[in-house]
Amino acid sequence: MRRLVAYPLMALGLVTASLAIASPASAHGYVSSPPSRQALCASGRVGDCGPIQYEPQSVEGPKGQRNCHGGLAQFAVLNDDSRNWPATSVGSSVTFNWVLTARHSTSSWEYYIGSRRIAFFEDGGRQPNATVSHQVSLAGFSGRQKLLAIWNIGDTPMAFYNCIDLQVGGGGPSPTAAPSPTARPSASPTARPSTRPTVRPSSPAVSPTPRPTGTVPGGAQWAPGTTYRTGDEVTYQGVRYRCRQSHTSIVTWEPSYYTLALWLPI
Amino acid sequence: MREFRVALAAAALTLLAACGTAAPEQTTYQVPTAPKADATFNATDVMFLQMMVTHHQQGLEMVKLARTRGTSEQVAMLAGAIEVTQTTELEVMQGWLTGWGETTTADHHPNAHASHGGLPITGADEMAALRKATGSQFQTTFLNLLIGHQHNAVEMARMETDGGANPQVKDLANRITLSRTEQIKQMLGMVAA
Repeated sequence: MRRLVAYPLMALGLVTASLAIASPASAHGYVSSPPSRQALCASGRVGDCGPIQYEPQSVEGPKGQRNCHGGLAQFAVLNDDSRNWPATSVGSSVTFNWVLTARHSTSSWEYYIGSRRIAFFEDGGRQPNATVSHQVSLAGFSGRQKLLAIWNIGDTPMAFYNCIDLQVGGGGPSPTAAPSPTARPSASPTARPSTRPTVRPSSPAVSPTPRPTGTVPGGAQWAPGTTYRTGDEVTYQGVRYRCRQSHTSIVTWEPSYYTLALWLPI
Repeated sequence: MREFRVALAAAALTLLAACGTAAPEQTTYQVPTAPKADATFNATDVMFLQMMVTHHQQGLEMVKLARTRGTSEQVAMLAGAIEVTQTTELEVMQGWLTGWGETTTADHHPNAHASHGGLPITGADEMAALRKATGSQFQTTFLNLLIGHQHNAVEMARMETDGGANPQVKDLANRITLSRTEQIKQMLGMVAA
């Protein structure tokens, strides 16, 4: 029965080895939409990012920099423009949404394209709200642009850096993600439906099409990244289970004591 | 991440092999019972569980509110699955603390460390922001709050991984790290869609 609760320590070691670089207190926030480069790494849409995928909120460096990685060598991938980062199609006005994991007093928020500061929000040392969003005009810009968003902390010499790749104009007003022609295969919503075991499991870009209830063939092995509907049946470690509540599976949501509300042995 | 999964699978196989003859007979499979925690623990184990109890309660409040608002089907399914799995985790953690004779909540305000960034956003502020959000803004606000909330869970789990002593609590911390990281992946995709 131990297998039901014990996640292999080996896996844990791998995760923590990656996370050990930054202490928890140094983690604060990043732009989630349109997705910053660190958000693309953390969502799995862009692969091979290194440790940033586990801590997209940690791109913290001294103020005054104009790069994507805050000068941190372990996050240098963020500053690599040759990675063909997928650009998000946007109109002339964009709302940038931030995820915050610690709400430090804030000096200001800055948005740059090239050397030009296109927006500036002065917070005067206030603590930000639980969520932060800014509407920024991109008037005068078109085509592919690399935007730099900076959160300047009020009571430390530090700031948080995000690069966001945008395709300005030529699309609808809403910031819908559009894979660039050179984007990795996993960024394509319809690509390779038969390769589920190797795609990054939980990226909605590769989410399986919703199916009617009970259409997963009985006996199919449980797998992460699969949308199971109430009534679907799977096999896991030789035991058959029936789905009790529709969900898209992730590692740790395989049948176990913790997921009895999702899977019942039959 | 692929290498990571392979390693996970390999390690799981090793574990299974180690269980060997102790594995239950498949034909007489029974519904698993709640995991028990060893009697040996340290202050980090207790602090982690107490903080996670509070954190889970805040998270459950958020996902329950989401149920009453209009969200996409993917968001609704995720919120529903988080609700039921975290409810079970919460019960397990409370059971372990009670079994050890410890209180199930931290004895200081969870925001006490906010001034030095050590502890997360307060549940009250999260909920206030969420209740205020309307229409299509609700889903964006909900996802950004819950992403931050789950990042905080990973940060707390790391504390337990580094400083805890009880093997079952450390297993739970590992479970939380894996689970929240995957949930964040899903949510980042949803919020960028």
